[in-house]
Formats: sequence, structure tokens, C-alpha cells
Amino acid sequence: MTSRVRPVGRLGGLATALALLAVVVGGFAPASAQAYVAISGSGSTWSFNAIDQWRKNVQQFGMRVNFSGTGSTDGRNQFKNKQVDFAVSEIPYGLTDGGVKDYPPEDGNFAYMPIVAGGTSLMYNLKIGGTRVTNLRLSGEVVTKIFTRKITMWNDAAIAADNPSLKLPARQITPVVRSDGSGSTAQFTAYMAAQHGALWDDFCRQAGRATPCGFTSNYPSLKGVIAQDKSIGVANYVRQDQSEGAITYVEYSYAKNAGFPVAKLLNAKGYYTGPTAQAVAVALLRAKINTDLTQDLTQVYTDQDPRTYPMSSYSYMILPTATSDRFNDQKGRTLSDFAYYFLCEGQQSADRLGFSPLPINLVQAGLTQVGRIPGSTKKPTDISKCNNPTFSTDGTNTLAKTAPQPAECDRKGGPAQCDANGNTSTGTGGGGGGGGTGNKNNATGGGGGSGGGGAGGANGAGESAGAGGTSDGVAAGDGAGGDGAGADGGGDGGDGSGDGSGGGGSSGGSAQAVPVSVDLPPNDGTLLIIVAAVLMVAVVAGPPLAARFMRGGR
Amino acid sequence: MTQMTSVPDALAAPEGARRRVSPSGGVDRVFRAGLRGAGFTVLGLMATVGLFLFFNGLHAISVAGFDFVSTQTWEPDSHHFGIAAVLVGTLLIASVALVVAFPLALGMALYISEYAPRWLKRPLTSMIDLMAAVPSVVYGLFGSTLLQWEGIDIPRWLSIQFHWIPFLDVPEADPNNPLAPENVYATSTFWAGLIVGFMIMPFICSVMRESFTQAPPGEREGAYALGSTRWGMIRSVVLPFGRSGMIGGTMLGLGRALGETIAVAMIISPIFLIQPHILANGANSVSALIAQKWGAASEFGLEALMAAGLALFLLTLVVNFAASAVIARSRSGQGSDA
Repeated sequence: MTSRVRPVGRLGGLATALALLAVVVGGFAPASAQAYVAISGSGSTWSFNAIDQWRKNVQQFGMRVNFSGTGSTDGRNQFKNKQVDFAVSEIPYGLTDGGVKDYPPEDGNFAYMPIVAGGTSLMYNLKIGGTRVTNLRLSGEVVTKIFTRKITMWNDAAIAADNPSLKLPARQITPVVRSDGSGSTAQFTAYMAAQHGALWDDFCRQAGRATPCGFTSNYPSLKGVIAQDKSIGVANYVRQDQSEGAITYVEYSYAKNAGFPVAKLLNAKGYYTGPTAQAVAVALLRAKINTDLTQDLTQVYTDQDPRTYPMSSYSYMILPTATSDRFNDQKGRTLSDFAYYFLCEGQQSADRLGFSPLPINLVQAGLTQVGRIPGSTKKPTDISKCNNPTFSTDGTNTLAKTAPQPAECDRKGGPAQCDANGNTSTGTGGGGGGGGTGNKNNATGGGGGSGGGGAGGANGAGESAGAGGTSDGVAAGDGAGGDGAGADGGGDGGDGSGDGSGGGGSSGGSAQAVPVSVDLPPNDGTLLIIVAAVLMVAVVAGPPLAARFMRGGR
Repeated sequence: MTQMTSVPDALAAPEGARRRVSPSGGVDRVFRAGLRGAGFTVLGLMATVGLFLFFNGLHAISVAGFDFVSTQTWEPDSHHFGIAAVLVGTLLIASVALVVAFPLALGMALYISEYAPRWLKRPLTSMIDLMAAVPSVVYGLFGSTLLQWEGIDIPRWLSIQFHWIPFLDVPEADPNNPLAPENVYATSTFWAGLIVGFMIMPFICSVMRESFTQAPPGEREGAYALGSTRWGMIRSVVLPFGRSGMIGGTMLGLGRALGETIAVAMIISPIFLIQPHILANGANSVSALIAQKWGAASEFGLEALMAAGLALFLLTLVVNFAASAVIARSRSGQGSDA
């Protein structure tokens, strides 16, 4: 009797499982079956947050783009070895790092395309009397001395000179750097080498490197300097309560996602500026663009505009320009459509993500490069419809043109230091935030700030559409957000996804809305970890349990 | 009839010629060739890996010379590199892992095989197998973002109470200064070793449990009959019988601990100095060095990493040969025969 029932039960179970699988797989399949071939790339963690958002956004068109943030150096090497379809890097091939030249791919079939601009920011974790400092200001020399261990305490006289209004504690500074080969490190060390070469060479010599050191992708290791893996690793290290006194260099979006303040950096004109979209846009007016679209930043560091952020740069995608064993026309089709998306519409979200949109000349140059991809769809793009906040009718960079002049309290030697209650707040950077939702954000600013990191993130994930505070609300508001809590509130508010419709003038009357549906908050790490853990337990424990259940059921 | 009488003969004279029903034919030969092939494949694979590492790392070793074993920094592009720091770091992390994992695994295995009620044995066994199935990157996440920060009081307490033991001291820490950074207790050898210990515990435990359950029931009964308590029985029967399993499992775990990569890379803050203070921040291991540097390495840097890999390979070989020598000298049950 039982022997007859059992096979039937098993078959039934099998059928159920298959049906379930079909439902699950079907549910995740792209809605529009435009038959894009999946492509994969790797590289920069500096621009990872932007690419990852764009990647999620184009999933609705059926494009599957895999991108792993393994560091710029790794991305370039993998592209050279034809292990990926595209790479993203902050620095081009052909540079000499530590006496070793990074040769470009031998066949030479590649091109650089700028994808997004941004500021390498100095994220720090510091409290005075239990209140988080959010308005720290640093000069380039002090930054160099901190990261070369010449300054080791927060109450050092040089830091005090930059921060007349702050009474900094006698706490040790923990500089946190990247342990892997990284474009962020390259940008940061290029700045230090160009501006404070003697200090930097001295440090290199101590660490056992040949000098002159120049820029490097691998930060020299020395006692007292903490090294962590990837951008997310350094940001995670700094944000821990136990890491008070730590400072790191990381793209602004990571600090923004963590709800942590970044230091204002002294520019050549004598003003302290934060890495806002506007300050970066102003700075990059001075970037010299070579014929292959790579950048020369030496003039950015010494730009005399008072609004400029000195450590600004572009990030590049390295594209194949010929088919190969790995790359064919179908992949080219996916890659070109992805590129058309982020060069045009994608740039709208750059500011919200903690980056700065590309100016019009680079978008145009980028579009030309996309046409060189084999199998490119060569989509005619009317860039006036892109709603890129930098575009104007007369060819100037609107974002840079409209960037506000820094406040008098941000001038070196000015009357007093801007504090969080002043007219500019350091926590989220100054800048034109949203109008409509600003009130709401201010009203809830205190609560959001005290809500804390982990729990706040989880809640945000649950109601991503509703949580849409504007990213810069606190900064533009009247300062009711308070200092420490305000900074947190601003960061968390930025996690929401409703900004595109509520914020500045970015969503005009055009048909391109910011795709909200696929917008997970950038702070979704916790949620993903939980989901992954549950899935893993289900996969491991599910089959034996199911087997036992079916056996017991006979 | 003849068969029946012949069997005792064969038993009585095991040294004599083997009695075969038929001469070995084609199937036997194929089977033997297959087995031999499998055996030699393993040898061949090991030799290939070793030779590959040797020939690729040779150039780097010849450039560095003897400095390769004595230098602590790792700057291959400036031709100034060595494995002194990373090799010591690897051994330290593995030792911490063993100190954590061995007692845990021993206790767990004994509890499951001897003490646990029948209904608890199977869930416990499957939980331990589940622990072994969890990928190491998950352990790394757990350790690097949660455990080492939430548990920072553990190394702090250890270092304050036992700072007179040299390797438990944390020189950078200043417990009397409330503003002293707490992160000197994180990203250390201790945390990496602890997490690696959690990872190797299930392997050690299952090998031990297997060997404990094979202790002969007759001798167990005998021990009880002589009036021993359960613990007495375990000490006189189970542990001696399981000795080779204990050593074998521990060595298996040690091998894994030496090679553990991702979890260590995620937790430690790599430092290229011999760091004898296991509770203080800064640690390193050969495999973590390779994992973090190979993607971004130059051509020569890759050769240097191969040389480091060769050193780890040799270290693991030595450990495993030592282990098999120990196991060979103490066969299972040998102790109880006496």
C-alpha cells in the first residue's frame, strides 16, 4: 500500500518544487524580452555606487549588466587579459606606478569614456564631548601630514589652525587607507605628490619604496596606518563607534550613504569647500582633457576659483573598440545602450548619489566613443532632452555657473568657522537642495538622526518610495537639524528614492522620469545580507528537511 | 566440501600464495589501471602546482636572494620584499585558530558521541555540517562588520589583565586614557584567528566524532564493568581509540587555517611587520596577501606573489607530512592495547 502511495507523493512533491521554481524564475525574468546579451565588467569602487544604481535602473529594459567593484587596478588588468567586457578606472593605462609601467592592452582596441565626476572626500569619525563633529576643515598640507603620520593627534596645532572654532580632543588619528590596488588611492596620492611632494616622498622612503614616489595605486604600508579592503571596507571601518578618531579618503557617496561627515578641504584661493556636485563641477572646468579623453588634473589642484573642490576627478569606462573572442556585436549592443542611458538620463541622479554630472563637452565626446563600440546601436541622442543639470543653451556649464560662492565663514582666516548651525553645514555639504520636501525633512530631521544606522537602513528598505527625503534638505534648511543628528538625518534622508520628482529642477516636463521602481536605497547592504543569509540557510537546510517531511508523510 | 576445509587453511597460512578463482582478466586490469591513474593524478597535480609556483616564483626569489625570508616589507616594485612578516602572521593566525577550535571541537564531538540524548544527536550533527557548509566570505562579513566591533571588550579585558604575557600585550593601547582609540583592539590576529577557528571547528569536530563513535563497544562495556564512571570510560577507552582521529582532524583543520583567505583578508588590516601582539591591530597572512595584491600586481609583483605562494605550499606540505608521521606512530587503539 505504502509502496504505491510513495512514488505518487514524491512525484507530487517534485511537481510542486518545479512549479515553485518556475514561478520564482519567471518572477525574476525581465519584463521586456528585448533579448539583450548580458555583459560584465569590473573595476573602480570609487564610481561603484553610481554604476550599480544605473545597472539596476536598466534592468527594467532587460539589460543585464554585471559589475563587480574590485578596484581600478584589478579592472584594468582584467580588461587587459580579456576577462571582462569593460572596465572602469580612475586612471588610464600607460602610467608608471612605483617604477612599473602599466602597459595598455597589446592590440590597442580600447577607448576611454568619461562616465561620472566626483570628489574624493575625507570621511572622518570624530566627536567632541559626545557630539559628532561635522564641520571639520583641513588644508592639503595637514591632510598630507595626517596620511603620512607626521600629525598623529587631533589636537595638533596645525589642525587647530584650520579649525579655530573647534576644541579638538587629544585623541589619536587613525588614518585608514586601501589595502588593494585602487583608483581612489591613485587620485589621492596624485594630489599629495603634486602638492606636497617632499612630505610624500619622505613617507615613501620610510615605507621602503623607491623615491620620488609619485602617485601610486597601492598605498605604502607603514605602522599606524590601517589598511582595509575596498571602498566599502574603509568606509565601514571609519563608521564604527569604536573607530573614533579615524579618517579615510573615499568617494563622497560612501560617506553620504554612511551618514557621515566629510572634511572641507582648503583650495588654492583660501576657502574650505566640500565635495558637492557644484564644487566638483567648478573644479573640473580646469581639468585638461587630452585627445584620448583622459584627464590632466594638475591645474585643478591650483584652481583660483573660490568655489572649487581640489580633489575632484572623472572616472572612466574602458571600452573595447573591436570584436574579439570575448566581445561580440550582441554584447556591443548591450554595452552601447547601457552607455547611452547613463551618459544621458543617468547623469540626473549623479548629484543625489554623491557624484557630479558630466559637463556637456564630455557627454558629447562620450557619445562619440559609444559609436566606436562594435555592434553599437548608434542611437541618435538629443542631448537637450537629457535633463543633465550641467547643460545650458550657450555651452557653459550651468551647474558650475550657478554654484554658490562660499560663505565668508569658510574662508581661511575668516571671522569664524562655519558651524552646523551656520548658513552652510558641513555634514552633507552646501548646495541647492530640494524645495518642496525640505520642510518635511527638517521636521523629521531630529528623529531620523537619532534613529541610528542599522535600523534606519532597514526601515528605509521596507518603504523606499515613502522615505524620499531630499538629499540636501538639511544643508539647505535653516539649520534646525542640529549638528550631529542633523548630519545623520541628512544622510538617511538621501537614501530615499523620491528625490527625482521632489528635488531641484531636474525633472522638467519631459517624459524621462527617474525610475523609482528599481530604486533600492543605497543603504540596502543590511537587507541584502539578511536575504542572502536566509536564502543560504534555505538552500542548505531545505532539501534534507523537505526529504524528511516527504518521507514522514507516507 | 573441499572449499570448506580450504578456508581454515588459508586463514592459518596468510603468508602463502593467494588463492584465486581465475587469473586476473581484462576487467581487473582496467580497474587497476583506473585506480593507479587516479592515484598518480593526485601526485601529478600536486607536483604541477609545486613546479608552477617554483618556476614562476624563481625569478623573484633570485632577485631578492636571502632577503626573501628575512625582509618584512612587501614592495616588490621597488625590489624590496620578503615573507618574514606574512609567514609569521600566517602561523600566528593558524595557532589562534587551533587554540579556539580544538577544545570546542573536542568538547562538541565528545558530547555528541557520548553524552547527547538520541533525539539531539542528529540535529547537532547536521548543525555542525551546516557550519562547515557556510561559505568563508559569510564568516568574513560576520567577523569584520559585527564580531570584532561588538566584542571589542574581550581583547581589551585580556590585554589589561594579562599584559604581562608578552604576546597578549597591546603596546599602543592606553587603558587609563578615555580618549585612547578603541580600534587598536580590532582588525587583529586574534579576530582573524577566532573566525578561522569557527570555520575549521566543524571539520575537526566531524573527524573526531567519527573516530570516537568507532571505539569498540566491548571495551566500553568492560570499562563500565570495572566500575568506571562515564568520564573514566571516555578517558580510558574513547580518547585513546580516537587519538589518531583527534590528531588527523586537528591537522586537517590546521591545513585549512593556514590557507584560509577571504575571511582573513576581510578582517585584518594588513601590516608588513612581524606583529607578535596578537590582540593589537595589524596582522597578515600569505594567502590574504595574495588575495589582496594579485589583482593589482605588476608582472614582477605577480612573480613575487608566486614565490610567497610557494613558501605557503611548502609550509603546508611540511605540516601535513609531520601530521602523517605523528598519526603513523600512534595508530588508532594502540594506546588501549597496552
